[in-house]
Amino acid sequence: MSDKAGAVATRVEPERTTREGSTRAGDRGGKFLTFFLDNEEYGLKILKVQEIFGMMPVTPVPRTPQFILGVINLRGKVIPVMDLRLKFGMAAKAQTEETCIIVVQAQGLEMGVVVDKVSEVLDIPEGDIEDAPSFGAQVNTDFLLGIGKSDGKVKLLLDIDRVLATEDVLLIDTLRQGVPGDAGARAA
Amino acid sequence: MQDSLEFTELLRAIAEDLRSLAPEDQDRLDDLGDALRDAVVIAPEEVLGLAQLLILVRSALQAPESTPEEVRVRLIEASAAALEMALQALSQPGSAAASQQVEAAAQTLEAALRSIYGSEEEESDQERPFDLLPADQDPELMGEFITECREYIQGAEAALLSLEQDPQDTEAINTVFRAFHTIKGTAAFVGVTPVSELAHHAESLLSRIRDGEVHFGGGYADLSLRAADGLKDLFQMLEDALAGQPQTKPDYFDGLLRTLAQPEAYGISGDAGSPEAGASLLADIAGGQDAPRREEEERGAADAAPEQGGRGPRRLASAEPAGEASVRVRTERLDRLIDTVGELVIAHSMVDQDKTVVAGRHFDLQRKVTHLGKIVRELQGLSMSMRMVPLKATFQKMQRLVRDLAHKSGKQVQLITEGEETEIDKNMVDVITDPLVHMIRNAVDHGIEPPDVRAQKGKPRTGTLRLRAYHAEGNVMVQIADDGKGLDRARILEKAVAKGLLESDAGVSDSELLSLIFVPGFSTAEQVTAVSGRGVGMDVVRRNVDAIGGHIDVASRPDQGSTFTLRLPLTLAVTDGMLVNVGGERYIIPTVNIYMTIRPQRYAVSTVAGRGEMVMLRGELLPLVRLHRLFGVEGAVEDPTEGLLVIVDDDARRRCALLVDALLGQQQVVAKPLSEGIGKVQGVAGAAILGDGRVGLILDTAGTAALAKQAPVPVEQEAGQLVRV
Repeated sequence: MSDKAGAVATRVEPERTTREGSTRAGDRGGKFLTFFLDNEEYGLKILKVQEIFGMMPVTPVPRTPQFILGVINLRGKVIPVMDLRLKFGMAAKAQTEETCIIVVQAQGLEMGVVVDKVSEVLDIPEGDIEDAPSFGAQVNTDFLLGIGKSDGKVKLLLDIDRVLATEDVLLIDTLRQGVPGDAGARAA
Repeated sequence: MQDSLEFTELLRAIAEDLRSLAPEDQDRLDDLGDALRDAVVIAPEEVLGLAQLLILVRSALQAPESTPEEVRVRLIEASAAALEMALQALSQPGSAAASQQVEAAAQTLEAALRSIYGSEEEESDQERPFDLLPADQDPELMGEFITECREYIQGAEAALLSLEQDPQDTEAINTVFRAFHTIKGTAAFVGVTPVSELAHHAESLLSRIRDGEVHFGGGYADLSLRAADGLKDLFQMLEDALAGQPQTKPDYFDGLLRTLAQPEAYGISGDAGSPEAGASLLADIAGGQDAPRREEEERGAADAAPEQGGRGPRRLASAEPAGEASVRVRTERLDRLIDTVGELVIAHSMVDQDKTVVAGRHFDLQRKVTHLGKIVRELQGLSMSMRMVPLKATFQKMQRLVRDLAHKSGKQVQLITEGEETEIDKNMVDVITDPLVHMIRNAVDHGIEPPDVRAQKGKPRTGTLRLRAYHAEGNVMVQIADDGKGLDRARILEKAVAKGLLESDAGVSDSELLSLIFVPGFSTAEQVTAVSGRGVGMDVVRRNVDAIGGHIDVASRPDQGSTFTLRLPLTLAVTDGMLVNVGGERYIIPTVNIYMTIRPQRYAVSTVAGRGEMVMLRGELLPLVRLHRLFGVEGAVEDPTEGLLVIVDDDARRRCALLVDALLGQQQVVAKPLSEGIGKVQGVAGAAILGDGRVGLILDTAGTAALAKQAPVPVEQEAGQLVRV
């Protein structure tokens, strides 16, 4: 794994921007599955979601990044599971009744994503989605499709292809602190 | 019969359309072209030359736009006339007479075309662009076409070889003929002109053989096989073209077509006495690909010329069982089915072991669950058997290989195959083909002596190669035995000492010494030839065989020959594994990789230089690898004397000991790749679903041992690089 970590890929290659499956500006609107990590609500394009089920035993795979929890048996298929909290550099949290694995199809493969709680399916039209604010050169907002607004609340809409394409931990604290006030003010 | 009626109807409609056709009406011409294409497909096979005629008509109608109108009119007239002749022929009873008439019609049309185009035809023939893929191709259809045709070619090749043994074998010639005929028809249908042309020309040669006009043998046999090769090349190119790689016409293509059309003009005859001219021409044709090979081929042909007697392979049982009815299914679907059945087995065992069923007094329920279990197991067996294919096709390829190799090296070799009905996992067939080819090459190139040398030794001039497959000890065994000179023990020893692998042969058993030939870079061939002797090969063989959990043995006696025995698992899908636990984790270690398991005495474990741990086993010091440290598992047994040591090979084939907590039992598991999302993890060969539905990791023992060498200090799980968003 050391080689993976060694490659300091802070930025996703520009080519990937146009990659199929990576939905970009223009057609961002549509149905989103929203879920929680702590108190923050995130959204995933519903078309990327294959299924959702409760937490199940995960077999750890040695020598993989920490945020890869391991592999599970999905009806005879072996698929990897990623803890989104760890991927986003948040503290690990004990499992609860509400912990879920969302199976997404991205980057041409299936991957389980562990989240704290699945919320709802929302229709967010393009008009209610704003570009992720830019924080200058050293801050990467490529992993967001945009910021969605619904009922005055803010949802961070993830570009899951990009999230999975990088092998690094993503710290989105800055974003979380910076956005809500800003977007909330505009929504008001 | 139904088809034949339908065909006649279609043909009649086309002929009528043709009569009322205006030459400038391009749309209708195109429609007619399509109709003709359909007709080619349903053309009754009994009437020979019919498809050929239709293709001819179609190409006549597809005159380029620049063609002057009066020429077009003449073309249409000629085509209509030909079709009417064909219709008349069809109305006659008896296919033989009809065939003759149809052929006459084709000849008339051809003559008409020649007179219309004059000599230009010849020239334009040369410069026609080589369009492998039609413009409007359908990739899926094309894929199926390629698969299907490959099967036909394979059948045709086998039949050609058996025909060479017995030129009177009418069944064989019919098989070949049908194969080329079908390929031609289908190729014309999907619009792959080069294939249909080549098949067409090969078919005309074969029809002459079938009609007894020429005698099959010598140059004709080589030419027919060459045509089959040409088709195989084309299919490969088609596949590449589908993948988007541009293709150019093979150099030999035009030459091959011309030769097939008029073999005699190029000095080819069925006369076995003087095949030199033909052989050199064929070498010429083949020469486009590989110049050095050409020389060799010529020399080989010349050497073989004086004695034609025993060359070529011979099969023990030439009577072939009739093909069983079958359905073509996508492998992908089959794999899904097998996966799903695997799931079913697991789900069943979960029900079976459920407290309610096991402990309760629900005897009725128990009985039902047991009954269900029987059905599930039967289903599992069935689904596994679907992936099994007989080795026959693989063995047939070897027949061809031996024939060509013998030709090239000027030796006389007969290949006897046995047990070709032995079944093996389909995925495994691909893996073992390369090793087999290597070993057979070696046997022909190095093992079997030239005829004169054999005669001096008092052996028959023709060498015998036996390829045998059979079941033993729950494995499939494939054996290749030659009656050649055997492996040169002294030379192997000399080489081993020179390479520093051995100091002397003291205490080295024969089989240990002989297995040195599998070491990379070890070749005792006296000279490097195009076929073998470069020291790559045998190590590749062993690597391939190891990769599928097989084993290879060699035995050899001077002047009596060598025998290579491959022991292969029945299927790749199921791995025999030992389930071990380390802390809270369970791992599967493939049983084939385990030499033994021991619980060491305290005095046997020692530390070297304060770092590496070693364990003494029967006077040998083995490095001790703590799996729990390597894999970062907590709560595992730390004291080797309380745990178990599993002795395995490392990547350099030296033994090492893996420390685990306990053995949980032996289990057959279905090996699956560790998902792409994780990629390759060193030390882990794959994953399998265990009895309780959880995933267990299958250890790659060599990789694990190698890992331990790289990282003597425990490896913590690494967090990735931090990225600020």
